[in-house]
Amino acid sequence: MQDAVITGIGELKPAIVNSGQTELDLLMQAAAIATSDAGLSKKEVDGLIVTPPSNDNYFMWPSQAAEYLQIKPELLDMVELGGASAVGSIIRAALFIQAGLCNHCLCLSGGIWDRRVFNTLEGKKKVMSQAEIDFELPFGPMGFNSAYALITRRHMHKYGTTAEQLAKIVADQRFNAMTNQNALFNDKLLSIEDILASPVIADPIHRLEIVVPCSGAAAVVVSRRDQAKNSCVRAINILGMGEAYTHNSIVYAADILESPVKKAAGKAFAMANLKPEDINLVSLYDCYPITVLITLEDAGFCAKGEGGEFVMNTDLTYGGKLPCNTHGGQLCCGQPSFAGGMSHVIEAVRQLRNEAGERQVQKNKVAFINGNGGVMSVESCLILGGD
Amino acid sequence: MQGNTAVFFNKLASGKLWLQYCESCHKYIFYPRVFCPNCLKPDLQWKETSGQGKVYSFTIIHYSNLPEKSEQVPYAYAIVELAEGIRLAANITDCHPKDISIGMSVELTVKKYHYSYLHYFRPATMNRKC
Ligand SMILES: [Zn+2]
Repeated sequence: MQDAVITGIGELKPAIVNSGQTELDLLMQAAAIATSDAGLSKKEVDGLIVTPPSNDNYFMWPSQAAEYLQIKPELLDMVELGGASAVGSIIRAALFIQAGLCNHCLCLSGGIWDRRVFNTLEGKKKVMSQAEIDFELPFGPMGFNSAYALITRRHMHKYGTTAEQLAKIVADQRFNAMTNQNALFNDKLLSIEDILASPVIADPIHRLEIVVPCSGAAAVVVSRRDQAKNSCVRAINILGMGEAYTHNSIVYAADILESPVKKAAGKAFAMANLKPEDINLVSLYDCYPITVLITLEDAGFCAKGEGGEFVMNTDLTYGGKLPCNTHGGQLCCGQPSFAGGMSHVIEAVRQLRNEAGERQVQKNKVAFINGNGGVMSVESCLILGGD
Repeated sequence: MQGNTAVFFNKLASGKLWLQYCESCHKYIFYPRVFCPNCLKPDLQWKETSGQGKVYSFTIIHYSNLPEKSEQVPYAYAIVELAEGIRLAANITDCHPKDISIGMSVELTVKKYHYSYLHYFRPATMNRKC
């Protein structure tokens, strides 16, 4: 994507309890930070891509957002790929810009998520297909917890992956989060033992291995390279991108251990003409540690089935060999609706711009980012590069 | 519940699990559909299956907040692979969750569920422990 660059980022501090703001209130604040970061006036935003609202009505959501912000985009869209929506919106923004349809596309994501809502029957049904309601719900699945537990259990069975190896991912991310003022969970370091001592929720998944829903918003501006403002700190190159789908419900995946990351990352690496060993840092969607582990395998950072050993032997902290989720990931920052996926893009941009402060990664030329929708159902991948 | 989904659950009253079978590509399909998702032809016929299968993966749910299920914890939520090659979600019943393993043989047991029926699986007769 020669012509498209990331020029602006903006993120609100996530909150477990929303302080009475509407979703559009949250989106507006993130939009203000990101456009200002890009050195843009609001008038110059001529593209808008939103992810779906969590409480407001879907109908004409991009138009609702444009009205609230009082912007006049010439191209509007909404991307609904679950957790892959945010990365998916960057991919589409880059395509719109490459096609010459707009100069500055605002990708806007966020909402108000509440664990108490998810845990009701109605809350569960809201994120289920009719087939899931008819053929899965009567058996008492616990939403994403049980779905990812099915993957985790089989990975352990087939490859000998251990609970300790999975918990190591969480422990390293918590170490990273200790430097992030905006993380929800940064009060103390966690050892592998601490994580495995937390209650088993859906065996083999422990409470401290489960992402916590929260409220927040995040925004990214994708611009035409020749339109990027001098006041923009540093334009970040979009070197590669790819997306793929294999299933909706995990019950019908051809192989629950083979994710669409393989195809999506393969495309992104081919476009960037890079290999996994060229990547300096990764920002991987982490609703559960198994998601990170399978993404590392399927993107080619280690061989299939060796993810457990790989994470155990690789320092994933910001000073380590393969820095992963240097902001602490969603496991430490919470999941503010679809903005959870955007946090991975934003942290990678911070790192590539040398703006990550205490947790700045020293080798920071190229980053790999993925967004994961559903139960490793849809995957969107990005490779971003600094100068 | 209507259409092919209603047919699926009504057929469970026979104590057997019936699936749609495509006469065109000679494959079972699940969940029920109007056309075969492999070839997009309408050549689907309902066929009785063996009710035999294996546990493909499973999880033991320790915390449930679903109205009826919260009293049943811990319970096993599994993906079962039928002898016919189809995978579906189900509970593994009639055994202790500790005795469940991936690859173990299971068999169909149809139980009353509200005003209809539901397909559960239990350890196959030969290796049932309880
Ligand atoms: Zn067919």
